Amino acid sequence: MSEQSTTERARPEAIKAVPVRHPVRWVSIAVIAVLVAMFVHLLLTNDNFRWSYIFVSYEEGKRGVMFTGPVLEGLRGTILLTITSMAIGIGLGTVLAVMRLSPNRILSSVAFVYTWFFRAVPRLILAILFGNLNILWSRIGFGLPFDEQIGKLFGIDNFNGQFYSIRAVDLLAGFVAGMLALGLSEAAYMAEIVRAGLQSVDSGQSEAAVALGMSRFQVLRRIVLPQAMRVIVPPTGNETIAMVKDTSLVAFVPVAGELWFQLNNISARTFVVFPVLVAAVIWYLIICTILMIGQYYVERHYGKGYGASARAKQRLRNIQVEQGGKITTTGETP
Amino acid sequence: MTDTPEPDEIVEEPVAEAPEPEPEPEPEMVRADNVHKSFGSLEVLKGIDLVVKPGEVCCVLGPSGSGKSTFLRCINHLEKINAGRIFVDGDLVGYRERGGKLHELSEKDVARQRRSIGMVFQRFNLFPHMTVLDNVMEAPCRVKRESKSEVRERATALLDRVGLSSKIGNYPGQLSGGQQQRVAIARALAMRPKLMLFDEPTSALDPELVGEVLDVMKGLAQDGMTMIVVTHEIGFAREVGDNLIFMDGGVVVEQGAPRDVIGNPQHERTKAFLSKVL
Ligand SMILES: Nc1ncnc2c1ncn2[C@@H]1O[C@H](COP(=O)(O)OP(=O)(O)O)[C@@H](O)[C@H]1O
Ligand SMILES: [Mg+2]
Repeated sequence: MSEQSTTERARPEAIKAVPVRHPVRWVSIAVIAVLVAMFVHLLLTNDNFRWSYIFVSYEEGKRGVMFTGPVLEGLRGTILLTITSMAIGIGLGTVLAVMRLSPNRILSSVAFVYTWFFRAVPRLILAILFGNLNILWSRIGFGLPFDEQIGKLFGIDNFNGQFYSIRAVDLLAGFVAGMLALGLSEAAYMAEIVRAGLQSVDSGQSEAAVALGMSRFQVLRRIVLPQAMRVIVPPTGNETIAMVKDTSLVAFVPVAGELWFQLNNISARTFVVFPVLVAAVIWYLIICTILMIGQYYVERHYGKGYGASARAKQRLRNIQVEQGGKITTTGETP
Repeated sequence: MTDTPEPDEIVEEPVAEAPEPEPEPEPEMVRADNVHKSFGSLEVLKGIDLVVKPGEVCCVLGPSGSGKSTFLRCINHLEKINAGRIFVDGDLVGYRERGGKLHELSEKDVARQRRSIGMVFQRFNLFPHMTVLDNVMEAPCRVKRESKSEVRERATALLDRVGLSSKIGNYPGQLSGGQQQRVAIARALAMRPKLMLFDEPTSALDPELVGEVLDVMKGLAQDGMTMIVVTHEIGFAREVGDNLIFMDGGVVVEQGAPRDVIGNPQHERTKAFLSKVL
């Protein structure tokens, strides 16, 4: 702790000032503390929450309602439904966005009409509609057309030329119907999000890429989409979280393997309402929290080259280079 | 110049007898014959003729809006011309002439033509989500499908040549304008082009950064690269240019050796323009 200074001038005395008081800040902290204490008190002392019903056992020989077999099955269904319908939504939505921006009039009109239809119809009605689509066909499959008639020509009765077919009720009911209803509807919203993302990328980018001889697909895949992702990811995160909650709509398809359906079932059987609702709230909170954490990392990945984290990574890389380390390119280039 | 007759319109379907270009005795890297280009009802190029020989540096001067960028973009078919012909290294750009008919080239063939034409933009247009090295390696790896290690070697050498070997792992956003433009030049060179097009490469730069980019371009010219450079840097044009054209209102008003055009302009419009930029 030497006080010596290398320069001629002596260092002046360090500033020791009395900090500004923030009375409002302290009052609000006190108010919030009281409210939080009241809430915790409510949670702990009000017997109507029936925490043991939620966590420990809801019936003789059963686990708590949150962890009982059917509810966990339902949870799995909810997650699976979210993933599959978002996958359909993002994939189809990207295709629709590219179609919408295409100079080909037919393609862009098709995309427009699709978006118009699926944004206009409420998801709940779509879910019920898809649950009833099997009224239109009895079997769905692919194989030789007119197989029975051809079989008769060769004297075989009931010749079945279907490589694969399934009763429409089996395919277009329950999970698949719910997945399609949610996924196709989501695609309409994702199309708008992706379109906004693609349009946010400076036209100089695709121009430079085209001038290098890249094909239209390469420009999209390598140059435009990765940059559009910065605009696409945040609203897609919101859509995913909304989707987790919208999966409860498929109870109307009906789909049994879904979280809220299962919880509601138990509620109806045991005549316990409030703790079941609390259990549902907790599960949805957990899923959405995990998704938000995931979103943070995805956003950080696509922010490469833009923000503070890029600079931090750069510093690390420079150190590696200085020490003769290998330059590893992040992202998809191996 | 303005009163050259309109050549045959380029129509996708049958086209009247197109004037066959007589086989050139001397090699020409770029040949523009009476090029016309309109945006809607606005005619931006009104009959541009130009010949650039291999190894030549052709500087293009002209006031804003005179069609310089448009002309450059026509050379690598970023814009479709409405009439006339453009040849690069003997190949008709964007079309194939067969039996007196013009056929549009497929997207793939146009892309192949563009591979050998490098372009540098006023606003750099580096890919911001890729490192400097990836920017340079992207096209050779993806378009030409060359081996990664080979391309990496070449890219590193090119970046060294433009004086940026220490910035290999940086993102474009972390570089100054002058550094970004030098990366952009290296990116174009990585495709081993026969021709380089520069569209006001130093116009977006702070004055103290202009020199470093011009130095790189001078080096390129000395190494024999054929270049068409749209620029307002009169000093560069005089020192490096073999040929200078002055464009205004979509026509070439005056052309010749840079020293002559700059030192002794013949046309009023050239004089007026030079008095403003000198
Ligand atoms: N894509 C376009 N659509 C319509 N007009 C354009 C387009 N590109 C350029 N122009 C017009 O063409 C004229 C020439 O532009 P440009 O070639 O960029 O000139 P310069 O590069 O010499 O400044 C300008 O009037 C400009 O507004
Ligand atoms: Mg311009």
